Amino acid sequence: MLRHTTTLQRILLSVLGGAIAIGITFFLSGSNNQLLALATAYAITILGLSFLTGWSGQISLGHSGFMAIGGYVTALWLQHFSSTPMVLTLILATAAAAVGGVIMGLPATKLRGPYLAGMTLAFAVALPQLPESLGPWAGGSQGIPLQTPTAPHWFANVVGGGPLAIIATNYQYDAIVGILVCTVAFFIVSNLFASKTGRAMRLVRDNDVAAELVGLNLPRTRTLAFAISAGLSGLGGAVFAYMNGTVSPASFPYVLSISLVTYMVLGGMGTLQGAVYGGLLAVYATQITNWISNTVGIDPNSNFGLNFQNILFGGLLIVTMITAPRGLAGLIHLLKGLVQKQMSKQRQ
Amino acid sequence: MNGFLTNRILSDVLYGITNGVTIGLVALCLVLIWRSTHILNFAQGPMAMFVTYIGLTQMDHGLGFWPAALICMVVGFLFSGLTERLIVRPLYNKAEINPIVVMVGFFTVLEAVATAIWTNIPRYPVAPFSSINFQAGGSPTALSPLAVFQIVLAVGAMALVTVLFNYTKLGLQLRASALAPEVAKLLGVRVNRLLTLGWSIAGVVGAVAAVVVAINPSGMSPSMMDGIFILGFVAAAIGGLESPLGALVAGVSMGILMQFINDYWNSNYADLVAVLILIVVLMVRPQGLFTKNTARRV
Repeated sequence: MLRHTTTLQRILLSVLGGAIAIGITFFLSGSNNQLLALATAYAITILGLSFLTGWSGQISLGHSGFMAIGGYVTALWLQHFSSTPMVLTLILATAAAAVGGVIMGLPATKLRGPYLAGMTLAFAVALPQLPESLGPWAGGSQGIPLQTPTAPHWFANVVGGGPLAIIATNYQYDAIVGILVCTVAFFIVSNLFASKTGRAMRLVRDNDVAAELVGLNLPRTRTLAFAISAGLSGLGGAVFAYMNGTVSPASFPYVLSISLVTYMVLGGMGTLQGAVYGGLLAVYATQITNWISNTVGIDPNSNFGLNFQNILFGGLLIVTMITAPRGLAGLIHLLKGLVQKQMSKQRQ
Repeated sequence: MNGFLTNRILSDVLYGITNGVTIGLVALCLVLIWRSTHILNFAQGPMAMFVTYIGLTQMDHGLGFWPAALICMVVGFLFSGLTERLIVRPLYNKAEINPIVVMVGFFTVLEAVATAIWTNIPRYPVAPFSSINFQAGGSPTALSPLAVFQIVLAVGAMALVTVLFNYTKLGLQLRASALAPEVAKLLGVRVNRLLTLGWSIAGVVGAVAAVVVAINPSGMSPSMMDGIFILGFVAAAIGGLESPLGALVAGVSMGILMQFINDYWNSNYADLVAVLILIVVLMVRPQGLFTKNTARRV
């Protein structure tokens, strides 16, 4: 996909993508910008998961745990050093989650798929139980509040809208901050993908015997992939903390790990676009479900209606994985190919 | 003597064994499916939960405990075999993450469907055994008739599986088609049918495990197998995923250890300790504690 691009092209593409996304925020309502801000957090996390699954062939059912590490490090740090610039806090949260990734990744070097999936799932189940017992500093089951980024005066002046629109302005500002972080994360991963390390990871995924024969250090490559992936999820968790305004054990239940895998697969695993679609799906899943419920005529307050979202997306996950494992990104790619074929036919 | 029977440490061991046999049963299920098809069944818990709901809710319609439990096992047999046929079979020879993802999807769907049908308000199916602990010299011991029944049921199921696999012709065929499907096929074993049967047997064992969980005083709910599935996986992985005996021993040990952590430390740390033990065991012996050393490809 981005394998044959130069660094300059990747910079231009990232800037363009980020600029378009920021442009879109000017046309969205406050509540949609609020969702978009959260979507950037999920997109970064899913990018991390996708990086691991699509590009190194391992799977994790525990990325909600790494999100939790990133989110809690952010909230705890800001509680004590509230004036720290956001960039520094984000770097700190990423590093902390990456360290967690190295620890979890150590046995992963000797293991294949199912063991790693089960172990990471157990990790995601175990982690949210801790804050309640760690003492008051960890916030207990209530969680820890923090200050969401507020729009500076110059931004409010540019956007305008007067004092009544201040909440909507703040949401738009949050969405733009999220998009900027997202753009940087996607740019870094696209570079990684094109680098020597990225090629090594793909070779390990496709043929580990060949990888070993050409002199690659398998354990190190696998651990590195896991650490990078966990670090990205930590970054996603940190952005989530900023945008959500609070972190608690309920923000990162283990079923979130399962949802992350679902949205990653539906979006299209192993692709950059797929992670964007996945992040958007994560925040709009409820609205999509409600829309379908209304169209089909399911009572949203009935027992079935209340569980329809999980039935729908779980079912979609099974069907997608069996019939079209490349997800939405693959589907769009296919449609684009068909349209181009039609157009070239018409030209003739 | 009475003091010994109500001693705190002995009580913890007994409570631990009661929970441990269930963990061992879940681990056994995972091992059975892993040995026959090399798939780790992440939907094991919800599958067992689902068939148990189908069976034990019949008690609401006046059916006794025993016939209801029998329905659980029959439905478990059919449901698990059907799952293999319809959902799992398209995934053989695919990348190893595909079955993991599909079974995770199945997990989500089953829990959601169960909640849609039966709600997540706990139900309390009553087994014909008292959950009041035996008394020793005026103070309670750690065992109740119900606990003894749970242990007997679990150990009985394990013994039957062992006899089936090791001492019957069918067991031989099952092992052959798992170990060397091509050779087994040449020798006239209907391998595909036996893979389905392997899943079905695991489905029955799963149903037994879920019935044992459901008749606990804490009752049954759609997510009742989630926590125990995690411990079951840890036990199966420590045992090496290949060894039924390893699953049993690791499961009971886990149960006892968890009980000690609950009693002397803090139950919120129990799962984390389990994960840490798993990490250490897998780093020292990636093939598990109970599997013979085999040459690894890489």
